[in-house]
This record gives sequence, C-alpha cells and structure tokens, in this order.
Amino acid sequence: MTANILDGIVLGLQFGLLAAGLTLVYGLGGVLNLAYGQMAVVSAMVVLFSMDADVPALPAIGLGVLAGGLSGLILDLTVLRPVYRLWGEARVLLSLLLTLGVAFVVDGFLNWQYPQAGLTLRIGGGPVEILGVPMRAGSLVASAVTLLAMAALLVFFRATTLGRAVRSVIEDQEGARLVGIDPHRMLRLILILSGVLAALVAVTRSMVAPVTVTAGFGLTVNALIVTVVGGLGSVPGALLAGILLGIINTIAASYIGTFLSLIILLTAAALTILIRPSGLLGVSE
Amino acid sequence: MLEVIDLSAGYEGGDVVNQIDFHVDEGEAVMIIGSNGAGKTTLFRSLIGLHRLSSGKVLFEGEDIASMPAQRIVRLGISFVPAERHLFPRMSVQENLVLGAYPKRPDTETIELVMALFPRLAERRRQHAGTMSGGEQQMLAVGRALMAKPRLIVLDEPTTGLAPKLAAEAYEALGVLRQRGLTILVAEQQVPLAMQLSDRGYVIENGAIRMEGTSAELAQNPEVRHAYLGVV
Amino acid sequence: MTERFSEGTGTSVIGGAERRTSRSLASLFLPIAGIGAVLALVPLWLGDSRVLMGVAVLGLAYACYTIGFNLIFGSTGQLFLCVGALAGIGGYGSAILAETVGLPIPMAVLLATLAAGLIGGLLSWIAVRRSLGVIFTGVVTLIFALAFENLLLGLTDLTGGDGGFLIGAGSESFLRRQIPPYYLMLTLALGFLVIHGLLRRSHIGWAFRALRDDELAAELAGVDVARYRVYAAVVGSAMLGMAGGLYALTEGRISPTTFGFAQVDVVVLVMLAFGGIGTLFGPILGAVAFTVIDELLIDLGQLRVLVYGALILMLFLWIPRGVIPTIAGLIRRRGPSG
Repeated sequence: MTANILDGIVLGLQFGLLAAGLTLVYGLGGVLNLAYGQMAVVSAMVVLFSMDADVPALPAIGLGVLAGGLSGLILDLTVLRPVYRLWGEARVLLSLLLTLGVAFVVDGFLNWQYPQAGLTLRIGGGPVEILGVPMRAGSLVASAVTLLAMAALLVFFRATTLGRAVRSVIEDQEGARLVGIDPHRMLRLILILSGVLAALVAVTRSMVAPVTVTAGFGLTVNALIVTVVGGLGSVPGALLAGILLGIINTIAASYIGTFLSLIILLTAAALTILIRPSGLLGVSE
Repeated sequence: MLEVIDLSAGYEGGDVVNQIDFHVDEGEAVMIIGSNGAGKTTLFRSLIGLHRLSSGKVLFEGEDIASMPAQRIVRLGISFVPAERHLFPRMSVQENLVLGAYPKRPDTETIELVMALFPRLAERRRQHAGTMSGGEQQMLAVGRALMAKPRLIVLDEPTTGLAPKLAAEAYEALGVLRQRGLTILVAEQQVPLAMQLSDRGYVIENGAIRMEGTSAELAQNPEVRHAYLGVV
Repeated sequence: MTERFSEGTGTSVIGGAERRTSRSLASLFLPIAGIGAVLALVPLWLGDSRVLMGVAVLGLAYACYTIGFNLIFGSTGQLFLCVGALAGIGGYGSAILAETVGLPIPMAVLLATLAAGLIGGLLSWIAVRRSLGVIFTGVVTLIFALAFENLLLGLTDLTGGDGGFLIGAGSESFLRRQIPPYYLMLTLALGFLVIHGLLRRSHIGWAFRALRDDELAAELAGVDVARYRVYAAVVGSAMLGMAGGLYALTEGRISPTTFGFAQVDVVVLVMLAFGGIGTLFGPILGAVAFTVIDELLIDLGQLRVLVYGALILMLFLWIPRGVIPTIAGLIRRRGPSG
C-alpha cells in the first residue's frame, strides 16, 4: 500500500504541475488551451533531437524548456489574437476550437514525420529506499524537480511583485487595470510560463516512462480533468487535485486493474466536480 | 489639469453621454452630480480608459489620453476609485495596498498616510479584502488608489452602500487629502457631502451638462436644491 | 475570471442566424425534400463500390449525430462532449440486445434509443441541478465519454472489448446489403431534420432561442430553462442513440473506436461548427463537406490529422460562425442596398 501511495504521489506531482499551467491560463485569461499536451510533447522532442545531436543532457533539457516557453509565446502572438477580441463564454469556445486545430496540426505533423519517437531520460543509480519501498532513481529525481518547481511557483505568486500582479488579474481584472497592470501582458507571461511547466513535466515524466509523440492529447485531457477538480484558476487546487488523483489512480490500478481503475478515477473526478463545482480550492462564484 | 472636450460615449444602442465639456484645475475639488442613469459612470469610465469614447478629447496636463487604455492612464498620475471598487477579494488589505503602488515598491510614507486616514484598515492589515464590510472596502479602495501617489483622484459615487456615518468619514478623509494638495474629481448622488468638499460642480442630466458653477452658486440654485438637496 | 467588459461581445461562435418567426410548413418541408432528393441520387453514382457506399452511409450517420448534437448544443447551449458515447449506447445497446439477448431488431433499437435518451436527459438534469456552466458540462460529459469508452474496453465478455463486437443478427436482412442502408440512414437524417424543424417553429423552439440568447431574461419571462434543457437533451440523445443503433446494425461490426471521443465528438463538433451552430441545415452541410474531405484525404495517413487541424484553424479564423450564418450575413448586408 505504501508503495502505491508513493507511486501515486510521484504520478500526482506530475499531474499537478501540468494542470497548474492549464489552470493559470484559464484563470487569468479565460482561454482554454487544448494544445497544451502538444506543447509538452514538442519540448520532449526538442530534448530528444538535441541529445541525438550530441548535446549533453542538461543543456538539452534547457533547450526543451526554452521550446516550451516559446510555444506559449507563439500561441499568444498568433492563434490567440482573434480570441482576445471576445469575452466570456465566446472566448472560451473559440480558444478551445482554435487550440484544438493547433493541437491537430502539431500532433499530425509529429506523428507523420517522427512516428514512434519517444523521449526517455535514464537516470543512473540504483533504487533508493523510502519508507521501506524501493524507489527508482528516475522517480525520485522527477519528484524532486517537480516539487522544486511547485515551490518556485508558489514563492513566485506569494512573494514577488510580478507574481502578485498576475494573481491580481485573476482576482479582478478591472481592478488590476486600475493599478496599472496590463492583463494582456500578464496573460502572455502566463502562457510562456505554462509552456515552461509543460516542458518540465515532459522532461520529468520521461525519467519515469517514455514520453512519445502520441502522448499529446492524453496529457491535455489529464490536465483538464485535474484542473477542473482542483478549481479553475487555482494553482494550489491543481497541485492538490493532481496529487489526490494520482494516488487514487495508482491504488485503484494495483487493486483493480487498468480499465476499471480509470473508470474509478474518472468517477471520482466527476463526483468532485458535481459536489463542489468550484473545485477543491476554487472560489464559489 | 484635466480638460474634457466634446466627449461622447455609449453602447451599441447609442451614446449615453453627449458632447460633454468640463475641466478640473490643479488643487481643486470638483463634483459631478446627477441622478441614477444620468451618465456619470459612463463618463468616468470613458475618462479613465475603461470604456471607449465615441468622440471627444481628454487632456491630462496637456496630453490627450482619450484613446489610452486604463492601465496606461493610471500610470500618468490619475487614480480611479470605481463605484464597485474592484478590490482583490482573496488578497489581504496589505497586498491590495502594495499592488496599488505597482509597479513601484510601496512607499512607507504613503502607507502610513493611508493607515492614518483609515485606522480601521490598520487593524485589518492581514484580512482578506473580500471579507470586509462595505465601508471598510470603500476605505481600502481609496487607500489603494492613493498608493500610486496620484496628482488627480477620480471617485465614482464613493458613498454607495455606506451608512451616513461612514460616508461622512470618507469625505472627511477626502477633505484631508484635499488640503494636502490632491486634486479631486468626484461623482455623487448624495450631494450635500460632495458640496461641502468641492469648490465647483457640474450637474449632469440625460448625458449632458445642464449646469455648472461654484458650490455656493449651485447650493443656492432652486432646481438643484429641489432635485438634489431635498428642499421642497 | 469574472469580468465581462461592456464594450460589446464581438463576434460569437454561436450564430443561429435564422431569426424568422413562424412560416408555413411548406417552407420547412420543401428544402428538406430538396436535400433528400439530391442525396437520394448518390447511390446512382457510387452504388457500385461497397467501400464508397460504406463511406456514404457513415457520412449520413455522422449527419444524424450532428443533428442530435445541434439540438443539444445549438439549441440550448449544453456542451455535451459525449456524443460518441450516447451513440455508442445506442450502438452497443442495440447490438447486445439483438445479438446476445436475441430481441427482434426493431425492439432492440427502440430500447437502446430509449436508454440513450434517458441517459442524455439524466446528464442534462444533473448539469441543470448543479448549475454547471458550459465548461463544466463539457468536462463532466467528457468524463462520462471516457468512462464509457473504458467500460466498453473493459467488459470484454459483454462487448468483445478491443477486438470488437460481431453482430450476427440481421445479417440476412436488407440491413447488410449495399444500398438499402443508405436510404435507411437518409430517411433517418431527413426525419431528424423534420423533427428539429418542427421543434424550432413550436413554442418549444421559441423557448430554446430565448434561453440561448439570454438565460436570465428567459427565466424572468417565465421560461423554465431547466425543463427545456432536459427536453432538448432527451430528444437529441435519443437521436444519437437511434442513429448509433441503426448504424451498428448496418455495419455488422462495431468496436469502441466506432464511438470514441476522437472519432465522433471532435468530428461532429467541427461539422456543426462548419455548417453553423444552431442552424437547421448546418449539420447536413457540415457532414457532407467533411465526409467528402475525409475521403479525399484518406491516403494521407497521419498527415490527415494535420490537414484537419489546418482546416479547423482556417474555418474558425475566417468563418467562425459557420458557413450558413456567414452567407446569410453577407446576403443581408447586400440586400437593402440592392
């Protein structure tokens, strides 16, 4: 059981960090980015190709993270521009549809050009015992990096001027404008940040299991469900929901088997949404 | 300091305010009075860049700010306190104030001024803005607006939803600010308080300026007395 | 994200350009009959090829799905991302009832249709009770769709799982021949159009438009928004179930991917958005267009996905309200000036 919980936490941290990116973009800009999973995959591919070109691991990862951030910026500058002219529900719908188109273009291209490509980062070193359970080095490093990233995120939002500015836009966009904050600039920043997070998740995930070109949509759906359960726009909510759902997932999978466990996970998510639509830590509107 | 020339603004159905002219000189306190629906809010929101103008010019210290977005205008030295306040509900009083100074770091002198003007805020520094009462929120909204050390502060119906005692306190604070040299433009339905504070005023009705004059003049005007001062 | 700026809402994706008051029934039936006549000619042209007729039948099935989805989403704004699952309830339901349980086919389809309608209605009722907005309804129905797909994969004894389900029932009948299924699905599609058209002209249709335009105003005007939403969901879901069931029986073989999210929901959404969300004929236009496009792209393999993506982008960048409302808009603009 402990093994399951620990595995669940490893998985859940990934879920959470990934969802954080998606929830920020939605909470701040009212934009639903369905190309999110593809941003992660693109980053993974950049790392893969760099390493194939004999770039050492760390710089390659750096390039991947850069690629992630860049993809966010590109989305902001191109496809999302017509979305910014709309507000509310119309904005969500159009952003959903346009990013879906982007997702297909990227996914189709990658799968056509590099079928079966996948990134795997092998972390050396034997298993380490945590609470009596042998954990692979890869899982541990992945979790450590993810935790660090989460901590950095939380520090950013709580303690820096820029982070507070971002939060203020989520809190009350008009109020933010009245103190001189440009919501669009903040959204651009957050889109870049979400790309960086996606890249980090892809890289850390590859330390545990291969991240293939086909992983895109699965990642997006995952992130979306965790986001909604955690509360749209709430980063702590996404992190918490991620960990919870990760644990439920692994426990269910080991005791029941994959198909039913997925159904249980999905049901748990649905119930949370139904019982508390604002999410675990969201704000009841 | 602020000159509004021929301003018209409205919504898809048509303009709500038409060809408004008025001005505010440095050091003055000017009031714009009118009943509900007269156009005060649309006027102010257009001034401050939250709403697009159909036509007209808005000159702030000579510069035309008519087409600038709000986030730029507030960095030029104008602060706006909207009727709905638009505070950051899940952030503390402290955080709200600190953000008021964005992008600069908050000035201790200014914070102290705000705390002196509104002691109730000092007591609640860590409290979330969303959990405070209407009066406290109003004070916080004004306090936040002051953090940017504006030269002109524009307030839209600051006494909305406030009990008379709190409304009087709010205007007392504005009086203090006035004496320190802050230029004030305020829209009000509750005219007596605004009249005490202001040097001059404009009466707006159906989207147009109907009357203007010094506070003293307006106070004597029978129509004003009847419509806004409750004198029969 | 609670702000909605007052400076106008810009162009919305949901068009519904046809704001006409009630007209004669002929104006409803004539276009439908016209479309029916044109589509009825297709077998004359493709009838020799089993493959192409199969594509045509599938295209009509998608047209039916899109009409059902249009009724749920276009009419009452409920973003049901479980179109495939509801069709799958009809499909697998009919298949299992006919094959495993041994019920006569019409009864199997009827029961499966009812099941789909009830489940769709239940989902809508839940969404209404919990006041779920568009995004939440979408996510909850998406979860349902994913859960259903996994259920199909998991319950291998019942459904054949990954490998698919062979339906022996009806294999001797006209259902498995080359051309009759086409006319069956065509009749279904036309019938659905008639139902949708009649609903639009009725007081129910008025209520739909009212609640879609401004929910609060509709409530204040006395429209029981909740009830109409559930009605629309029940009817639309029943359409999905019936189409799924009949399609399954004409194919003879179904698998979870026949009714999967990626295969059905995404495609239906794009078809409807292309034709015009909320319009009457948008679904048919979208289904025909994309069936043709899909067939033209069939050789491209993975590149198809890329082309689809590019088409979606072009579609929503240039004609966000869909073809029919955009054309209607252009005509209206040219009209008065002559």
